[in-house]
Amino acid sequence: MPTNDARPTALPPGRLAVCAALVTLLPASRVLAQSCAMCASSFGQNDPMTRAFSWSILFLMATPYTIVGVVGAFLFFMHRRAPGRRRATIIDLARASRLLRRPAPAEDSGGDVA
Amino acid sequence: MMTDAGSLAMPQRTVPHAVQETSPPVVSNTRLAMLVVIAAESMLFAGLIGTYLVFRLSRTWPPPDLPRLPLALTAANSILLFASLVPMTRALRAVRRDDRATLVRALELTALMGAFFLVVQGFEWVRLVRHGLTLGGSMYGATFYVLIGCHAAHVLAAVVWLTVTAFLARRGAFRATRHGALEMCGIYWYFVCALWVILFPLVYVY
Repeated sequence: MPTNDARPTALPPGRLAVCAALVTLLPASRVLAQSCAMCASSFGQNDPMTRAFSWSILFLMATPYTIVGVVGAFLFFMHRRAPGRRRATIIDLARASRLLRRPAPAEDSGGDVA
Repeated sequence: MMTDAGSLAMPQRTVPHAVQETSPPVVSNTRLAMLVVIAAESMLFAGLIGTYLVFRLSRTWPPPDLPRLPLALTAANSILLFASLVPMTRALRAVRRDDRATLVRALELTALMGAFFLVVQGFEWVRLVRHGLTLGGSMYGATFYVLIGCHAAHVLAAVVWLTVTAFLARRGAFRATRHGALEMCGIYWYFVCALWVILFPLVYVY
């Protein structure tokens, strides 16, 4: 009689490594590395359309990183420049860890890290 | 060996509370929302520029049988758009001084300059359509009208926003301590002008 045991059977480590290697290497084969049928077969080696697509893709790939970088840098510098904020709360991790190692005072003074 | 209970106990650690809950945020929620809007708008224009680059780099550009874009007129128009940043900056400074008269005047001037930029753009488009450069006629026309038209739509939205903001400023809605809406309007106007810094050389000069 079949049992209803739904526990997944784990692959042995050796077989798991072989599967991972296949999954990693398969997309690198020559046929699959051609990103799409249009780019691979429609245009020749020196076709200007290939160059145009290449530049466009590079531009579109770089844009999100640029935007996120600019916004992140803006937020970071705003945080650093804000009045009343202390740098230790952001980047001075060494000082914070030194304070954490310090023995407790007799009475809790409610002190800050910085 | 005798040991006292104190030495066996775990060392006590002070719990830091570096961030005060009552402290105001470094970047206000409205400014953060505006950053998100601008990031999304930038991605919209990145997609359009990517499309433009594909057609621009893959064929003879501009096509020989189509009219050339009016560079001199658009350059003069661009200077007008960039000059509108001066009254916008003056408006932002005036509101921090509670100088309502300067604020209203600067906002109205900015809106007027933006509107004039749009009028010149429209005039230029009418001339181009009469010379045969239409939206559906060629890929050259399609990419030009979509990209520049999208920017013009943003300028139009910004001009409407500026007009409403100037109306509110005239009624005394902004104070030195409370002018978030005006600041957001200013950031959007800076963004619209910054976009033109990229679009004008790309479409008209390159």
